[in-house]
Amino acid sequence: MGLDALLEAFLAVLNGGSFLYLMTGVILGLTFGVIPGLGGTTALALLIPVTYTLDPLNAMYLAGGVMGATSFGGSISAILLNTPGTAPNAATTFDGYPLARQGKAGLAIGAAATASALGGLIGLFTLLLFIPVAREVVLSFGSSEFFLLTVLGLAAIAVSVKGKLLRGLIAACIGLLIAFTGANQFTGDTRFTGGIDYLWDGIPLVPALTGLFAISQMIELALKGGSVAEDGGRGEAVKMKITGVGSGILSVFQHWTVLLRGSIIGTVIGAVPGLGGTVAAFLSYSSTAQTAKDRDTFGTGNIKGVIAPEAANNAKDGGSLIPTVAFGIPGSAETAIFLAILVLHGMEPGPTILLQHEREVYGLIVALTVSAVTASIIGLLLSRVLVLITRIDVNIVVPVVVLLSLTGVYVLEGRMADVLLAVAMGILGYLMIRFDYPRLTLVIAFVLGETAERSFHQIRLISDGEVFGYMLGRPISVVLIVAIVITFLLPTMRSAMARRAGA
Amino acid sequence: MKKLIATGVAAAALAAAPAWADFPADNPITFVIPYSPGGGFDTIVRQFAPAMGEAMGATVVPENISGAGGTRGAQSVFRADPDGYTIGIFNIPGFTVNEVLGRDQGFDLSEVSWIANLAIARYAVAVPADSEINSVEELCAGDDPVKFSDTGATSTASVTTRIAMSIIGCDIIDVTGYSGSNDAMIAVISGEVDATIKPISSLARYLDGSGSGDLKLILTLSSDELVEGVATAADIGYPELANFTLARVIGGPPGMPAELVTVLEDGLRAAGESEAVTSWAAGAGVDLEFMGAADTTAMMNELSTFYQQYADIVAVEQ
Repeated sequence: MGLDALLEAFLAVLNGGSFLYLMTGVILGLTFGVIPGLGGTTALALLIPVTYTLDPLNAMYLAGGVMGATSFGGSISAILLNTPGTAPNAATTFDGYPLARQGKAGLAIGAAATASALGGLIGLFTLLLFIPVAREVVLSFGSSEFFLLTVLGLAAIAVSVKGKLLRGLIAACIGLLIAFTGANQFTGDTRFTGGIDYLWDGIPLVPALTGLFAISQMIELALKGGSVAEDGGRGEAVKMKITGVGSGILSVFQHWTVLLRGSIIGTVIGAVPGLGGTVAAFLSYSSTAQTAKDRDTFGTGNIKGVIAPEAANNAKDGGSLIPTVAFGIPGSAETAIFLAILVLHGMEPGPTILLQHEREVYGLIVALTVSAVTASIIGLLLSRVLVLITRIDVNIVVPVVVLLSLTGVYVLEGRMADVLLAVAMGILGYLMIRFDYPRLTLVIAFVLGETAERSFHQIRLISDGEVFGYMLGRPISVVLIVAIVITFLLPTMRSAMARRAGA
Repeated sequence: MKKLIATGVAAAALAAAPAWADFPADNPITFVIPYSPGGGFDTIVRQFAPAMGEAMGATVVPENISGAGGTRGAQSVFRADPDGYTIGIFNIPGFTVNEVLGRDQGFDLSEVSWIANLAIARYAVAVPADSEINSVEELCAGDDPVKFSDTGATSTASVTTRIAMSIIGCDIIDVTGYSGSNDAMIAVISGEVDATIKPISSLARYLDGSGSGDLKLILTLSSDELVEGVATAADIGYPELANFTLARVIGGPPGMPAELVTVLEDGLRAAGESEAVTSWAAGAGVDLEFMGAADTTAMMNELSTFYQQYADIVAVEQ
């Protein structure tokens, strides 16, 4: 199997018609990625009805093109506008935007493009290596491992917010409160819904993130006036030239350990259903920032702070296909839509998906591979034009972005309440920017909260109440427990050592 | 001029006839799916819609109105005009169970104009294929409660599991919270739980012959033998367990004229017999089982009475 099928899929994609679908997907993905609030999930959800009339393989090319391209597209807006184009690019703003303001947007975009493409390739290569053992991998990740991974993510929050620990924790608590809204999976009761039917299913992710990241930033920009490249009304335009793209590309190879670490974190987190790209990029960023020698320069324009999240962000697509090839279950919102497309074409994804639908699965893998590379090339070619966005008056940028992102929120489910939620979250996000509370911390807690609660309940029932003993009996759980302890102790140990050195 | 008069006469004749006489000539029919695209409810509607449109000489447009556990879409059907241009698929017995629990869903199932039932899935009890357990009796013989896996506590499978096992008198813990029915079945394979009750068409992917061979069935919740060599509910002396099914029921707003219901029922019946739908069903493992409006209404009433008996089990306490 494997190689022949892969080669065949590669040759098939070169066929004119198929290639057209793939490239359409890439262009759509880049566009949806660049526009804040419109992400891969929205693009794919809108495409589902369109694929109904397509040949399943062409549907895969279209979907793969979109999936592979959105996250790089999103990094462009993260770097140039300080607004993540898609939620997983949130971590890229930390160092990408400062770089852009220093006139090094080219360096940042070059690095983001290269890290995205290579991260994507590493993720897919890992997937191919893991296909023969995908079953065992999925079976060895149970409720206990899911729970510990969410704790690891929450622990990373606690140590990632330098100097504003309390603010970070407050934001995380709000995130958990939001996550727990809606029907309780265990009792069927509803929580924090205030009698509103809309909240039965919980706070939906896409509108909430659009509000927190895109709308809030637009409020901030609108109130500041001028243009993005201008410093808050003072009128001095920072020169955002796209120069140094070459050294940006090169920087990824210089920091190949950062790339590799990001890709591995991305692949692993991608393989765990329900965690997703935002968590992967954040964990990659925070672990790189925590262990780097020059960690004090993170947040002020360290190129490693761009490479780490972007590598993880794209590698997660490969990882999220591990549960898909093993059992036909989705590892991410995007793979869920990929499976939905199969169902719509009368196929029935299950544990035999690779045997029965080999062509479609390998078609998707090839599409993702080609997409990850071409999206970066197209992005680099267009970057000189895109940077002009930062020179446009915010009075034009803001209404256009707000309109597009709120439209995106509306079309996803066709619910006006989603739009209102996005606006409410936008105001919350703006207040957080204004009073210096970290938004990403809230989002990570929001994303992790549901899985954390759910898997904890499951272990409690499965282990007959002996939660800790049960975890200790599982090797991967033990590794994760060690990782959590290290995450907590590292900053303490470091400051203790610094004190000793100082004394 | 003559022509004009003729048209006028024709129009007058039409106006005198009941409003549904020319149904569904002028407008497209909206077929509401109360969940997002890509799921089981969405798929069956999208398969039936074109064939139904063809049979009726109309356009049938599937529309996903998701949210609030499917109640939002159902509400929109319930509140529409009963003119035949809005129909929807209902989550049965999911909505029935909600009613038994006394939840206000914004609609009343007993008032819905039931049109047809398209398919019925039946449940089975599955354990790992290499397990030494071969019957429910053996499964429940231990001292500890038997662990089952499910998605949510209000899911039909979870409700089925808890009621069915309490009828048998088997002490269980239903571990809920799995992301989908696939994940719940994988929990049995990985050994997190002991067994699971799921529709046979879903379990087929994990059985020997039809799928990966990770699971085996030890009981089907049916009166007739559905899988060779697997005991039925009737065999083990609990024939009432055959009441647990997963239906694909179509309904319209309350007070829909019987003539309209018949037109729609015929359209759905023709769609169900069409080549496109039958070949899809065979490939996707869907058991088409057409029931007309009268039978569907009777089934809905029976289900309501059936679940009402077990109201206290349906409500979860943990």
